[in-house]
Amino acid sequence: MRRFNWLLALVCAGFLSLAPWPAAHAADPDKVLHYAFVAPETGFDPAVTRDLYSAEVIQSIFETLYTYDYLARPAKLVPQTAVALPEITDGGKTYTIHLKRGIYFSPDPAFGGKPRELTMADYVYSFERLLDPKLASPHSWLFEGKVVGFDEAAARARETGHFDYDAPIPGFELVDRYTLRIHLKHPDYNLGMILAHEPTSAVAREVIEKYRDASGQVMAHPVGTGAYLLSKWVRGSRIVLTANPGYRGFIWNFKAGSDPGDRAIVAAMRGKRMPQIGKVDIRIMVEDQSRWLAFLDRQIDLLELEGPLAPKALVDGHLRPELAAKGIRLSRIIDPEISYYYWNMQDPVVGGLSPAKIALRRAIAMAYDVQEEINVVWNGEAVPLQYPIPPGVVGYDPDYVSSVHYHPRLANALLDRYGYRRGADGYRTLPDGKPLTITYTARTDSNGTQESEMWKKTFDSIGIRMASNLMQFPDILKAEKECHLQMRTSPWIADYPDGDNFMQLFYGPNIHQNNNGCTEIPAYDRRYEASQRLPDGPERDRLYHQMARILEVDAPILIGYARYRNMLAQPDVIGYKKHPILHCEWLYFDMTKPKRDRSSTP
Amino acid sequence: MTAYIVRRLWQMLPTLLGVVLLVFVLFNWVGGDPAYILAGKMSNPQQIANIRAQLGIDQPYYVQLWIFLKQIASFNFGASWSTGETVSHVLATRLGPSLTVLVPLTVMETVIAIGLALAVAYVRGSLTDRMVMIACTVGMSISILVYIIVFQYWLAYKMGLFPVQGWGDHFFDNLFRYSALPILIGLVVSIAPDLRLFRTFFLDEINQDYVRTARSKGLSEPRILWVHVLRNAAIPIVTYVMSNLPSLLIGEFLIERFFSIPGIGREVILAVERSDFPVIKAITVYVAAATMIFNLLADLLYQAIDPRVQLK
Amino acid sequence: MNDAVRHSPGLWALAWRRLRADRVAMVALAIVALYLVSLLLSATGVIARHWDAEVGVSYAPPSFLGAETAAQRDAPRIKVPPAPPAENPRDPLGPLLKRLRAERAAGQGGIDYYGIQDPLAGDITKLRAKLRAEPDAGVAKKRATLPFGADKWGHDIVQKTIKGSETSIVVGLTAAFLATLLGTLFGAISGYYGGWVDDCFNWFYSVFTSVPYLLLILAVAAVLHQKGVLTIVLILGLTGWTGVYRLIRAEYLKHKQREYVLAADAIGASHASRMFRHIFPNVSHVALVQLSILTVAFIKSEVILSFLGFGVPVGVASWGSMLNEAQNELILGKWWQLVAATTAMAVLVTAFSVFTDALRDALDPKLK
Repeated sequence: MRRFNWLLALVCAGFLSLAPWPAAHAADPDKVLHYAFVAPETGFDPAVTRDLYSAEVIQSIFETLYTYDYLARPAKLVPQTAVALPEITDGGKTYTIHLKRGIYFSPDPAFGGKPRELTMADYVYSFERLLDPKLASPHSWLFEGKVVGFDEAAARARETGHFDYDAPIPGFELVDRYTLRIHLKHPDYNLGMILAHEPTSAVAREVIEKYRDASGQVMAHPVGTGAYLLSKWVRGSRIVLTANPGYRGFIWNFKAGSDPGDRAIVAAMRGKRMPQIGKVDIRIMVEDQSRWLAFLDRQIDLLELEGPLAPKALVDGHLRPELAAKGIRLSRIIDPEISYYYWNMQDPVVGGLSPAKIALRRAIAMAYDVQEEINVVWNGEAVPLQYPIPPGVVGYDPDYVSSVHYHPRLANALLDRYGYRRGADGYRTLPDGKPLTITYTARTDSNGTQESEMWKKTFDSIGIRMASNLMQFPDILKAEKECHLQMRTSPWIADYPDGDNFMQLFYGPNIHQNNNGCTEIPAYDRRYEASQRLPDGPERDRLYHQMARILEVDAPILIGYARYRNMLAQPDVIGYKKHPILHCEWLYFDMTKPKRDRSSTP
Repeated sequence: MTAYIVRRLWQMLPTLLGVVLLVFVLFNWVGGDPAYILAGKMSNPQQIANIRAQLGIDQPYYVQLWIFLKQIASFNFGASWSTGETVSHVLATRLGPSLTVLVPLTVMETVIAIGLALAVAYVRGSLTDRMVMIACTVGMSISILVYIIVFQYWLAYKMGLFPVQGWGDHFFDNLFRYSALPILIGLVVSIAPDLRLFRTFFLDEINQDYVRTARSKGLSEPRILWVHVLRNAAIPIVTYVMSNLPSLLIGEFLIERFFSIPGIGREVILAVERSDFPVIKAITVYVAAATMIFNLLADLLYQAIDPRVQLK
Repeated sequence: MNDAVRHSPGLWALAWRRLRADRVAMVALAIVALYLVSLLLSATGVIARHWDAEVGVSYAPPSFLGAETAAQRDAPRIKVPPAPPAENPRDPLGPLLKRLRAERAAGQGGIDYYGIQDPLAGDITKLRAKLRAEPDAGVAKKRATLPFGADKWGHDIVQKTIKGSETSIVVGLTAAFLATLLGTLFGAISGYYGGWVDDCFNWFYSVFTSVPYLLLILAVAAVLHQKGVLTIVLILGLTGWTGVYRLIRAEYLKHKQREYVLAADAIGASHASRMFRHIFPNVSHVALVQLSILTVAFIKSEVILSFLGFGVPVGVASWGSMLNEAQNELILGKWWQLVAATTAMAVLVTAFSVFTDALRDALDPKLK
């Protein structure tokens, strides 16, 4: 009897979505996308995984409430499993979200053979997992300090050692099966973007409880509602995703933006039932040379072109003619990231807000040629930035001009003026005559070495002795979070495309979290707190402008650059465009059917 | 015989204990702190403390050591910190690809090196001998990194003789298609030192009395070399090959990285990069145990080859 | 083993005579000597002192390739001389920077500070005015080609290779010396005293040899947090002593029973005196051969250490760091650094190995 009801619901749902469930599957199993990961994946639990490559797989299998429009730039939030964008009321403190009906998890023994519909309770369960102390999720910050009663529940769990998923949390009000109302502690206009970040994807509680390991994670058994299923996984070597036959599908109907390439994409893709690609075959290839040769050999359809390889494929940001002649296409974007150089503000040598310390940092900042680093270290594959918020992120101001310029002579003059005198060996001392050495820390890889060489050169040009400290990444993280590093280049990529995600990097209370330079400037902190209470607009922009100027005059950091992301596509790939926030786009583009056996092509 | 094996196994215990202590001191005591990398990019001290508690690295050292010893005794090293995969599964799945390259490589390398070394020993002191020795020396003087980069570029990509990189699902596909170039590089790198070493083993034997006796009995030179000398020189050769095998598992990491072979060597480097201590510790202990067991096997093989050897 | 030969002071003289008769060995020795001379000259700063001067353009090709059209096509972006961002015509922020430049010419007046006070404003304005009055010294022009090309930074490859040879040979020699010293010391104590001392060292030896070499290196590298040439020497030295230990211990076991040692005991020589004054000269040839074998091995290990990120520090060139850089240059068609480092290393390592072989033959004439 119960079974009958389920079936009825299923059929109804099918008719409602105007595409009967089994027939929704448009993907062609012959359309196989061959893809390569630069680093091995770790696993596929949305709450725990934190590396980019696993996230690409997670985004194919699981679904968030919101996602981003494929073509719109800057990235535009659109509903995924939600019916519409959230209704924000109560001055940014209440979000009401409705869920589409008739979305089902892919079949799994955990569901006892029954279809399992996605409900808002699944989302609440998935959010709660992020704050479960047992899981120690690296994504807990997404909800920390935001939702009414949520932090209190996490605190109780830390005491009892057990997160009570059955106890309701006041901030997550389930109005009905398909409606969630979220009550926030403070106004926040960015929660929609948080709900598009893949750690907030819906998992099913039955699946987690059936397959979880001792620490509560399910890394190897992803069951979601998304367009693809994990059909084969050889760890660290190969991942095969096949189209989910139960996926509801959608008709490709994105609008062309200002980008001239968009029209061709729209013309080729409009009206197609998605997804089209039936299988995504991912190999892990760690070495640059191997990946590049495999692409030329047509073993890879879509290649992420990493820095050292860029000159092989690009001249001045354009594809080399011989590659273009083969029909290969380039999709090039500026990543929503900044790399900035920080000086530890708590350090006795470089830190502090006295004029002599400010002069020291500003002199170093003026002596550093960001463009040369881009040319030499990044093979020209980056743009220098003026503003802490990179292009493509809400709050970016293309007209903002930094007051910091490359001017080594002025840097030397400034150091002379503030009493950093040169000794007999040509190196400067501190104004009190004590020796002056600044330690620059970087990773042990080749980029780290080259960055260190750039800085060594810079410091030599202004007569300051530099010590280089190359460390393994985990050691850097530890020292950095404890404010033990003197200076480093720190990259930050957007979690969600809003300026707040960048401005918070220099907020005093975030020291030991992600304020890596341990910056604490009261004038900055005051303005940041005010900006948090405002939605995007001229008022918030004015605060951001002032904050950017504070970063320039007090010089706790020097703003560096944002790197390009270059994707190369073989001629078989149709309608591909790299998205700045979405990790993988294979849900949105198509391929021609193969005519010949690709493994035998030269 | 059985008594001998039991005694030898018993004698391994102190060494193994030493390895365990060394590994423990290096990784639990002086090694980096993995909590920071596990905490993600927006971490706070409370979260770090929580992760350390979940991993058990906030316990006193003697407790951690006790847990480690229990893990070894039960062959259960727990799960990788970064992927959640059990360490036993890591080892079981990565061993196959490594051995697919390693076993044919070792067999071919040994056979070829023995053949060449005997041939060179036969003409010892001649110009050919000298030229071959110098060629070996030159070959050995080039870094394996250069061999890999150049061979992959020219033989695989430019000339299309081999796949550029990759690994399949079928054993024979892997063995004959994907392992071919890695094995070739392995041979180029390892035959030269083997040849030099085996040549000295043979020369050692050629100067022995029994060879002189055999010659005076009128046995042909090839027969002396191929039968008598080879049989006696087999002992050091077997020891050398056997005791090298376990460490080769790790030593193949460069080849595995460049040719995308999901083997043990690559896993070790990855684990070091990720501070994945359970995996590193388990692999170290297992490889150390394997080295000792292979040394024992080599001793047992001695006896099979040469019954005069007394096992004490 | 001929004791008479061993005891006579003529052992070394005899070996030298044998060595000199070997023409190949003498050529090898000459090559090694040449490298050592170049090492001394570069260490004292006579040659390759300014190897880190950026004399050429990035990836300047070797002079014998002549025209650099190909190179120019390859990397025009990189060839833009270091200049403020405003001067890069391909900059996507170009128009913006043009405005900025105009503002700069007019001092700082054009920049809106949004009400934020610059604490150094007064000083900077004064210094700017002063600097405008002084002419700029200007930058030296960079060369388009160099004898054997340039690396990414424009360093001369020939000078860099010479400097790199210095580092690699010094690393190889000192690490080998350290390993031989440790191995000899442990082997001597272990073999001489025997008993529980021997058991202890043997245990230590078997623990060290059971752990895979690579893991041992990574572990020691993780412990020695500091990066530097000394660190590499320590990593290699502390992990490489086992082979020497085994051989020296065997020699001491053999020698301590010999009459001359027993005689020394009878005249009341101390343990240390017997170990190092009496026995050591008779086993030193073993240590010498091991020293040269290890030197070659360590020079090669340095390359792998560099690949793993435990190489020489920033601002120091070595063969390992050069090969590591050259890794990605080959597919870009910039082969000169790879060829230079590989050749320099191959020639030395070959010569050194040939010489080592000859040395061993000369010192231990048993093998022919």
